[in-house]
Amino acid sequence: MYHGKFTAPHPDGSSHALDPFLQREIKLAKNIQSTLLNGEVPTFNGGEVSGSSLPARLIGGDYYDFYPLVNGKMRIVIGDVMGKGIPAAMLMILTRGAFRSASESTKGPGDTLRAMNQALFKDLRALGSFVTLFCADWDPKHYMLTYANAGHNMPLHISGSTGNIQTLSKVKGALVGGIPNLVYTEEQMHLDKGDMVFFYTDGIVEAQNTEQEQFKLERLIQILQENKDKSAEELQESVLSSIHTFTEGLPQKDDITMVTLKITSDNSDITSLNSPVI
Amino acid sequence: MLSYTTLEEDKLLRVDFKGDLDIEATELFQQELLKKMEEFQSVNLNLKEVPFVDSSGMGLLIELVRTLNEQEISVKISNVTEEVFEVFELLQLPEILGKDVFV
Repeated sequence: MYHGKFTAPHPDGSSHALDPFLQREIKLAKNIQSTLLNGEVPTFNGGEVSGSSLPARLIGGDYYDFYPLVNGKMRIVIGDVMGKGIPAAMLMILTRGAFRSASESTKGPGDTLRAMNQALFKDLRALGSFVTLFCADWDPKHYMLTYANAGHNMPLHISGSTGNIQTLSKVKGALVGGIPNLVYTEEQMHLDKGDMVFFYTDGIVEAQNTEQEQFKLERLIQILQENKDKSAEELQESVLSSIHTFTEGLPQKDDITMVTLKITSDNSDITSLNSPVI
Repeated sequence: MLSYTTLEEDKLLRVDFKGDLDIEATELFQQELLKKMEEFQSVNLNLKEVPFVDSSGMGLLIELVRTLNEQEISVKISNVTEEVFEVFELLQLPEILGKDVFV
């Protein structure tokens, strides 16, 4: 939480209040990003999705989005723009635009990443920046998750029947802005009733405590195991709270973002869409 | 915090890094190191004592190699730890920079 005046650290360690004009600009930028990130979440019978993002600074470079498709599938994306703060946030908005327009015209997650890389490559190359992205299509009719990866952390699958937690089968792909005209391969996985998929950015596993120890994947898995029976939103709150406890109030080093897909019953047709029908 | 020492051998500059490579290294890479490296024909980045590289560090590394290559300066990245190389492979760094960059 941010209270009082926005301040900027100086090299000498002191901090100076920003001028009111700049404060207002930053507040507006934060509102724009927060509104775009926290759009209406699609609801569907037989399951739920939830997403949350906590920037390390006033605004951040992490990104997640849901895009319901006309064929009844739902496209999920999570990503991390290199860097932090305002520069990363500007590129995050660019990434969001590329995702939404690619989703209109592409068949699957691999094709979406290919189109996004194609659209963003020149700009990212010119700016010396990169974006990691993980894109997945959830097919509620056939209970299939199809996914492709552009250099992002592999999400975790939490089995509802056994409680086992494993990373999804690896699928390789260079980060967006890395290789021009790259084709991204896809993998598929069948999900059962009670299963969950947890997508996240590296700000979670790389959160550090006062001993400079990282939160690491092992701790994340433990928290997910302890809270797997909660709703998608409550599960994410538990993850956030355990990171806060672990870091003992140290300033957050990187943006923290997560998306949870939870299958709760046998009927999971998507019933509410948050975007125009193509 | 990342620190480094350098060793100059004729037209080769070896840079031995120590510490985590993350966004904190931005100024070090883009202002201090790049200028120094541009004076040499080849550069060896020794990551033996770099236990962790995050996505921002990865971006800095890619941008540094690309910028030097554009000036026809040859770059090698050596002694990458197994854990860090796993992340490099996930991001397909060998494909982006060329497999011969890693020694």
